[in-house]
Order: sequence, then C-alpha cells, then structure tokens
Amino acid sequence: MPDPTGDPVVAPRGGFAVGELCIALGAIILAAVMVWQVFEIPVSPLYAQVGPTVMPFFAALGLGALGVLLLLSAVRGGWQPEEEREARPDWQALAWIIAGLVLNVALIGPLGFTIASVILYVCVARGFGSRNPLRDAGIGLAFALIAYFGFAKTLGINIGAGLLENWLESIVFGVVPS
Amino acid sequence: MLTRRELLATTVVAGAVQGLGLSFAQAQTLDMLKMFVPAAPGGGWDQTARSLEAALRATKAVNGVQITNVPGAGGAVGMPQFLNQWKGQGNALMVAGMVMVGALIANKSPFSLTQVTPIARLTGEFLALCVPAGSAFKSAKDFADALKADPTKVPVAGGSAGGSDHILLGMIAKAVGAQPAKVSYVAFSGGGPATAALLGSQVAAGISGYGEFGEQIKAGKLRVLAISADKRVDGIDAPTLKEQGIDVELFNWRGVFAPPGVNDAQRTAMIAVIEKLAASKEWAETCKRQDWTQITLTGADYGKFITEETARIGGILKELGLA
Amino acid sequence: MNAFDQLLHGFAVALTPVNLMWCLVGTTLGTAIGVLPGLGPALTIALLLPITFKVDPAAAFILFAGIYYGAMYGGSTTSILLNTPGESATIVTALEGNKMARNGRAGAALATSAIGSFVAGTIGTLGITFLAPVVVDWALRFGPADYFALMILAFVTVSAVLGSSATRGLATLFLGIFLGLIGVDLQTGQARFTFGVPELLDGINVIIVAVGLFAVGETLYVASRYRSGVDEIIPLKGSLWMTREEWGRSWKPWLRGTALGFPIGAMPAGGAEIPTFLSYYVEKKLSRKPEEFGHGAIEGVAGPEAANNASAAGVLVPMLTLGLPTSATAAIMLSAFQSYGINPGPLLFESQATLVWGLIASLFIGNVMLLVLNLPMIAIWVKMLRIPAPQLYAGILVFATIGTYGITQSPVDLILLYVIGGLGYLMRRYDFPTAPVIIGMILGPLAEQNFRQAMTISAGDWTVFFTRPISATILVLALLALAGPRLFGLWQTMRLKNQALAGDS
Repeated sequence: MPDPTGDPVVAPRGGFAVGELCIALGAIILAAVMVWQVFEIPVSPLYAQVGPTVMPFFAALGLGALGVLLLLSAVRGGWQPEEEREARPDWQALAWIIAGLVLNVALIGPLGFTIASVILYVCVARGFGSRNPLRDAGIGLAFALIAYFGFAKTLGINIGAGLLENWLESIVFGVVPS
Repeated sequence: MLTRRELLATTVVAGAVQGLGLSFAQAQTLDMLKMFVPAAPGGGWDQTARSLEAALRATKAVNGVQITNVPGAGGAVGMPQFLNQWKGQGNALMVAGMVMVGALIANKSPFSLTQVTPIARLTGEFLALCVPAGSAFKSAKDFADALKADPTKVPVAGGSAGGSDHILLGMIAKAVGAQPAKVSYVAFSGGGPATAALLGSQVAAGISGYGEFGEQIKAGKLRVLAISADKRVDGIDAPTLKEQGIDVELFNWRGVFAPPGVNDAQRTAMIAVIEKLAASKEWAETCKRQDWTQITLTGADYGKFITEETARIGGILKELGLA
Repeated sequence: MNAFDQLLHGFAVALTPVNLMWCLVGTTLGTAIGVLPGLGPALTIALLLPITFKVDPAAAFILFAGIYYGAMYGGSTTSILLNTPGESATIVTALEGNKMARNGRAGAALATSAIGSFVAGTIGTLGITFLAPVVVDWALRFGPADYFALMILAFVTVSAVLGSSATRGLATLFLGIFLGLIGVDLQTGQARFTFGVPELLDGINVIIVAVGLFAVGETLYVASRYRSGVDEIIPLKGSLWMTREEWGRSWKPWLRGTALGFPIGAMPAGGAEIPTFLSYYVEKKLSRKPEEFGHGAIEGVAGPEAANNASAAGVLVPMLTLGLPTSATAAIMLSAFQSYGINPGPLLFESQATLVWGLIASLFIGNVMLLVLNLPMIAIWVKMLRIPAPQLYAGILVFATIGTYGITQSPVDLILLYVIGGLGYLMRRYDFPTAPVIIGMILGPLAEQNFRQAMTISAGDWTVFFTRPISATILVLALLALAGPRLFGLWQTMRLKNQALAGDS
C-alpha cells in the first residue's frame, strides 16, 4: 500500500463525519458480501492451477483493507474538502432528476422509448430549474424521435418501440400511396 | 414494432392491400416469419438466421422475416423470454444449437432445449484438433498418448470453458482413458486469440471449428491431427478421430425450434417449410459458402436427438467438473 | 510486385466515384454510431452484413473500414463535449478532454483529437502497408505470461489518476476490479458475483460504467450544486482553434501515442484501451506541466486519442496478414469476407490482392475524409456548449439512455447505469477519483485471465513470468516506472550529501 496516509491537505477536524463514515462502512460491507459470494463460487475439480476464487478473494481483501483505512479517516473527521462540507446539496433538484430516472426505467418497457425519454427530459430540465415543461417536452420529443428514426430505422435495431412510434410510423409510412 | 407489423399483417390478410412503399414490403406479406436469435448479431446463430432469411426469401417460402436478437450467456438470457413471451406463436422460430445445450447446463439454468418444440437440425460444423507445424505430435495417437501419460503437461487452447471445444477435449480424454477434469485446458475469448496462441506455439495443441484453422492449415502454419466428423470430409486431408482409434464424434450443430405450446398443424406446417428449404439449391449453396455441413434431421427424430444430446453433453460437462 | 505498386493499384480501386461514396457513407455512419455510447462499430457492421448480398466486396469493405475508423472519431467527440464516452477506447479522452471543454478549450481539444487521430491513423495504415508481416511475427511471440506482465505495467498507470489520496484512489480501483469480475469465468465457466441475475452472466459492459460514472454522476452532482452557481461551463475562451502553444504540446504526444497504440493493437490480446492508459501515463510523466493533468491538459487528449486510432489500425494487421480476428469488429469483418466466399488467412494478401489493397487504400482515404469532415464541424460542436444547462443535461441523460437501452432492451442495463450514476455522484461529492474504476474494470479481469492461462500452460510453475524474456523485461519496466522516480530521488539526495561532505573536507 503506497502511502495510506496521503491525506495531508485536510487537517483532522475532530469528531467523526457521518457521510464519510457511511461510505467507509459501505466499502467494508461490499467487501464482506464479496467474501461471502466468493464462497458461493463452486470450485470444480477442473484442472486449473489458479482457480476462479483466487482473484475475487484478493479483490475483496483489498477493498476491505481500504475500507478500514477509510473508516479510520472518517472517525478522525473525514476527508471532504471544506467547501463540499459547507455546501448543502439541492435536494429538490436531485429529487426531480431521480424521479425522471425511475420513471424512465419503469415506463420504457410499457410505453416505449420516446414517451419515456420525454418524461426523463422534462424532469431533468425541471431539476435544473427550467420553468417551461411544455417547451422542454417539445424539445425532448424532437430529440427522441430523431434518435429513434435515425438509429433504429437506418440500422434496423429496435430501441424500444411503443405506442407513439408505431402510430407515427403508420402515419409517416402507412399513407404512402396504396 | 411487433404489434404494428402483426397488425399490418392482419389488415393485409383481410383487405389484401397492394403496393405499399418499398421499404415496408416485408410488412404486407402473408407469411411473416419471426426469428428469435438468443445471441448478438454477427455470431454463428445470427448468421444462420440471416442465411435462413435469405434462402427462405429466395425460394419464396416466406415473404417477410423479422429477426430479434436477445444476446447473453450462450442463450441462457434469451431462453426464458422465448419460453414465456413467444409461447404458442406458430410463425416463430428460434435458432439455437449445441452450444446452448451446454450453456444452459453450465449456467445452471432451470430451462433446457427439451422444453421448446423441435423443428429441424440444419447444419453442423465439425471441430479440428490442430498443432503448430513444428510440433512433435504427428498423429492424434501421439496426442492421445501424451494426454494419457500426463494430461496436465499438454496445454490445449480453445474457446470458453464448457463450450464445444472444451467438450470435445473432455470426450477425447475420456475415450483415451485420461481423467477429463485433469486436462489442462486454456480458455481464450474466441477462436482468433486461441489460434494466435497456437501459431505462436504458446500451447501444445488447439481445438476449434475447422473453419477457424482451415486457412492456417492450407498455408502450412498449422497441422491438423484429426477432425471430429463421423467420416472423412471431401477436400479436407485429415483423418477422423474414430479412424485413429479414438471413439469420439462431435458436431457443433445448429437448428431451429418453435416456441412451446404451438399446435400440431402449426408444427407440421413449419416442419414442411424447413424441409423444403433444406432440400433447396439455395440452401445447399449457402452451406457450401459458409463451410457448414448439412445434417438435416426434422420433427420427432430431432426431438429424440435433442434429448440424447442433452444427456450426453450433461454427462461430459459433469466429468469436466462444470455441471 | 512491391507494396508501393500494390498500394497505388489499391488507390485505383478505392478512388472510383461509387467507392468514394461508400467511404463517405461509412465514415459518416461510423461517426454517428461512435457518438452513441453502447452502439459500436462491431454491432453496426454486424447489422449491415446483409449488404454483402447486394454490393461487390470492395464497396462493402470500404464501407466497413469507414465505419471502423469513423467510430473512433465520433467516440472522442462526445467524450470531450459531454463527458459521455461513446467507445471504451475513448474513455481516457474524457478525463482531460471534458475538463478542457469546461474551461473554454473544447475547440482545441476536438482539434487535437481529430488531427491526432488523423496522424495516428495514417501512420498506422502505413504500418499495415509496409510493416505488417514483421509486426505480426513479433506480436505472436507474446504468450499469456507476457500479456500478464503488460497488464501489470498498465496497472502502474493508475498512479497517474489516483487523485488527492492513495487510499481513496485504490479503493475505487478495487471497486473497478470487482465490477470487472462479475460474470462467468472464462477459464472454468463458473458464475462469479452474479447474484442469480442471468443478465449479469456475460459481465457488465465497461461503457455502461463509464457513462454512469461520468455522465449520469456528473449530471447529478451539477444539479445538486446548480443553484449555488458552482461548476459553470465556459463555452469558449480564446481562439476556437489550437494555439501555437497547444500545437507545440500536441505533436509529440501524437507520435508517442501512435508508437504505443499500433504495436499493442496488433497483439492478439492487446486491445485498444491499454495503449490509451499507457499513453496518458507517459504524457503525464513527460509533461512540463504535470499539475495541469486533471484540470484539462492537452497532452492527455492528444496522446490517448492517437493511441486509440493507431491501435484500430494495429488490429487490422493480424486480420489481414493471418486472417486472425483479435477484436469483435475484426471478427465481424472476417465473416463478411466469408459471405463473399473468401477465406481470410495467411494467403489473403496474395489470393485477394485487389481487395486487400483496395481496403488499405480506403483506410487512407477514410482518414483524410474524417479529418475534412470533422475539422469544420468543431465550430458547430462547440456551440453545443452554449445550450442552457437544463436542456444540455436533460439531453445528455436521454442520450445515455438510448445507447444503453437500445442494444439489449434490457431494463437491467438501464438500472445498472443509473445506480452507477448515483455511485458516481457520491464519489464526486466525497472526492473519490472515477478513472481508477475504469482501469480496474478493464485491466483486472484481463490480468487475471492471462495470469491463469500462463499458470495452466506452465503446469503451475510460477517462475515463467521471470524466465520468459519478454515478460521479464516488461516486469522490470513496470518496477522502474513504479520505483524509478523514488530511487532517482534517493540517488540525488545521496549524491548531494556526498558532494556536501566532499565540500566540507
């Protein structure tokens, strides 16, 4: 481990830092889960000088050790730069974006790529303070449709067609002289 | 897309609309064949599907074909989707093959190819056992003797563990009396890197589809010790494993399956379409160009074959320590 | 007939109006798909394979070559402008490139990447023309033990991106190794860390992780700070084009990147990512202003960009001289050869001279075409940075979604992208560097597989890594890179002390 105490910039502030503590614990828990999963890997009698568990085990060990170092650092007051510690994250903005992402995952299957993308677009723009959802929806729609027809159609891959795409396709291509 | 095409297809049946735009000619056909490929575009199954599409169109057996790729884990990701979402669709086919039998077992998938409706086995590629030109092994027997003496001292290159190359090596080991699980198999991420290791004499021998080595053999950089076909193949100067006293035969076969839950009429109709294709001149040409051996087997016989193959491959994977 | 005459003949094939048109279509299409994360040249060519039934072989290969080179150009554009790498070989470009764009030097970053790609592509193609047999002969000598040594050397590059703390940097490196290990083990076929999810059996695509950490994570971070006015993008500062100083700082990295990229690309297990890591490391070590690295150093764009294009040319060497596909794209191109009834192999240069030389000539032409297409585009691309933040970031997220969802249509990939995005936000907020994740994810599994292949081949003999000359040499290089600066420092102080002592007496 080269120089594990390489955090000289931030002087220990005394008391422990909650955010840093959670992250350090997260790393240790992940390492523990990894060790548990390593024992779940079936080691076959297959001839292999170095089996499938060796590298995962060392990776878990390494992560665990670093997690402990992070924990020590967190207990001594954390490592976050002063300005980050002061700044309060804008939870409202984050909530809008996370809502957009969750809705996108949930709706892209049933409603298709375009509608899900428009919803994501509007939510993210709102998170960044845009006050004009209709205009954003229009831009998002144009953007998604260009992507859909540009890529899906020229290459013939299906990037998730839904109601809107099918309806548009039947309008655009369906009315060609019959 | 599916829904729209289906919708359009039915409208067409009812109204017999003619002459839609050229780019959507395939949508207005009576016989829309939907093909499910549980692998990424470009691989063996995908090429089979796309060659089938071309041949079926050329023979006017169907007018429209639509291919869906669901790649992942040798077919283990696509399989549940085909079983559940494509159930009962009489105009659908899945392209799969021997590799999938092995992948489903090795990945401990709860599914197997015996759960889908067998239509036809179409092609096969036999494998080749090769050595660098300067190798001391002159025949498959030399190789077998070395393997028997100490399997750990004969590193053999091939594709991923549990794939057809590995399975063949396991079968050879078993046939000559070496312990399959002791064989020193070096898995590479594909035929290219495995061939490179063989050309650079990094390993003692290599196993892959004959096509992977064919040109290297012609150029004299590699020597083929044996092929895994049941009998000698025209134009290939190599003995089979069987003639050299190693009782092993293996084809990396590919075939088509209908979803579960199709009725007898649909099944019979589909088999008829594929049988007609398999006998066509166009398909024979495709196979020749792609170096595929035609090994057609349809319907109930194919079903029996799948059951046997599943048992055979499951057995050897167990001995290799993979299942 | 010598290579030069053959090449002239090749130009005659490629320079017909129809083939030029195919080249233009290919380079444009290649640029477009290179821009989309997740959609790469291999998949595009695979989807276009049916075209081989309709056009003659020369045209098809010219089209494919255009797509192949074009994708590398497109991938770097989004890396620089949007911090959203389109291809895994352009991830390193985002590190410095996007910082440059935020500082108002997007034009210079795009220009050095386009010109560097052109230089590297041209030198690389010259390499294919004149050096192919030599290079391939040399590349085949690399066995798994030697590749393992190469990976160890590449791991040293992580020291260039550790950020302000070794502990945090290494923690993210190990996180990357963990992500890279997910999936079925190549050597034994066992599932590792898949938690019973079948979609994870084939592993996690490194592009999803890069886009999640860089683009999604960055968007979340900027949103959380947006109202307090932190992190503003300066669309343009100074000249749109490269300044004299920026030229001076670019040309050597272009050449060094090419020198790293071409031979490693030609190696059967080399790939395009490793030379970009090595190039970044070398440039940081050689730069007169290493402190600028991490804040938009032009060398960190010029070098890796040249490296990835040179490696793209390198990959074609084993394909054309031996018929060996060593990358996904090469494998698909080979299957296109097959659908024409041509069996690519060691005799390809002789048996299909017209086709092969036509292909090589079209690589030269495609490179020129890409430069001509891309340079004027820079002025337009830079305008993209003037898009107001709400629309820009909303666009980036939709864009990341298209590429990720488009290929597999699996919500699992999308969930992964967003979860990793959340992780990226936390890493940014708590001052963890993200680049080591990518390095760990790419190098970890490669090093492991090569190590185990080498151990199987040697029947468990550990000494192979030191007894094979290539492997031993590379390991010594790695040791020097790691300990060299410290030893040098030690030696310097010793010498100074001695001098002082000598002066005293």
